[in-house]
Amino acid sequence: LTKVPNYLHNAVHIMLGEFEYVLITVAAGLGECAYGAAIREEIEKVAARRCSIGALYTTIERLEKKGLLKTWMGEATAQRGGRAKRMVCVTPKGLHAAKKFYEAMMRVSRNASWATGKPGRAS
Amino acid sequence: MSSLAEMATILLAPKDRDPVLGDLAETGASGWGALGSVLGLVVRQQMELWRAWQPWVASGVAFAGSVLLLSVSFGLSVDSRHLLRGERGYGSVLCEALLMLSWAWTSGFVVGSLSGKTRWVSGILCAIPCLSCVLRFQDNSLSRLCVLLFLLPGVVGAVQGVRRARLSPMTALTLATAMTALILVWGGMYMQNWFLYLPAWWLVAHAKRSPPNEKVAA
Repeated sequence: LTKVPNYLHNAVHIMLGEFEYVLITVAAGLGECAYGAAIREEIEKVAARRCSIGALYTTIERLEKKGLLKTWMGEATAQRGGRAKRMVCVTPKGLHAAKKFYEAMMRVSRNASWATGKPGRAS
Repeated sequence: MSSLAEMATILLAPKDRDPVLGDLAETGASGWGALGSVLGLVVRQQMELWRAWQPWVASGVAFAGSVLLLSVSFGLSVDSRHLLRGERGYGSVLCEALLMLSWAWTSGFVVGSLSGKTRWVSGILCAIPCLSCVLRFQDNSLSRLCVLLFLLPGVVGAVQGVRRARLSPMTALTLATAMTALILVWGGMYMQNWFLYLPAWWLVAHAKRSPPNEKVAA
């Protein structure tokens, strides 16, 4: 009998979308200070892209349903007009999913012309 | 912060209102920009709900069930008139009335349990055939509202479906079996009537898969 190779041994169990990955990475970087407005500001600064409140909160909700994030109501500040913050924390499952996504992207990009610096084929 | 944006947050879930308004205040958003942000979130949240299959099935059941139950309600009204004239027996009309009640209730229950947050779409899809039928109603001997007899049990079922999401296996099985036995006794085995059994048997299948009293509505 020949052993059947397990091609799926490195499969990503929860495949993240690109924005989901960005959000988890930024939230993990902010640590205990991660909440809606701070995450949004950081995404706009680091990723140099506009981030709407709609995109942010629907993605937070989706990731929370998948068990990749945990949210709770935080303190209210005068700067926010006395309104509470929605604090965000990345779960161990979320960190694992982000790590898997990063590794998958690195593997996929290994031979890409923009990664190696060599000229690639253009169709 | 514009008061329009604050008013628009009524469309959001209560847990989202404070964080969203706080974020807008913190970033200095005001006027139309703030309103656009809130409405953008509302639209995205609604679109997110439609990524699941449940709202689609609920909408189909609401529309098809409404169309079929309109004719069932009309048939029941006509037969009730025949009963009053002595042209029909009590048993037959009673069977028909019980079937209409159970069809409407089970359809409403399924719609409510599958589309908790998209129930307004299911409501509109149910209302369109109702409105069209009432406006085109031509039988002068009956009230045009007689076609809407199914609405009350349907709405009661939908409200209970939103609250409970599923029935216990025994209740669902008893209900579906009783309904099937009832149509065999009554004899109205038309193709469209069998479609109205799908919600009842769906409740049986759904109740079997997981324990009752566990809220899973969308």
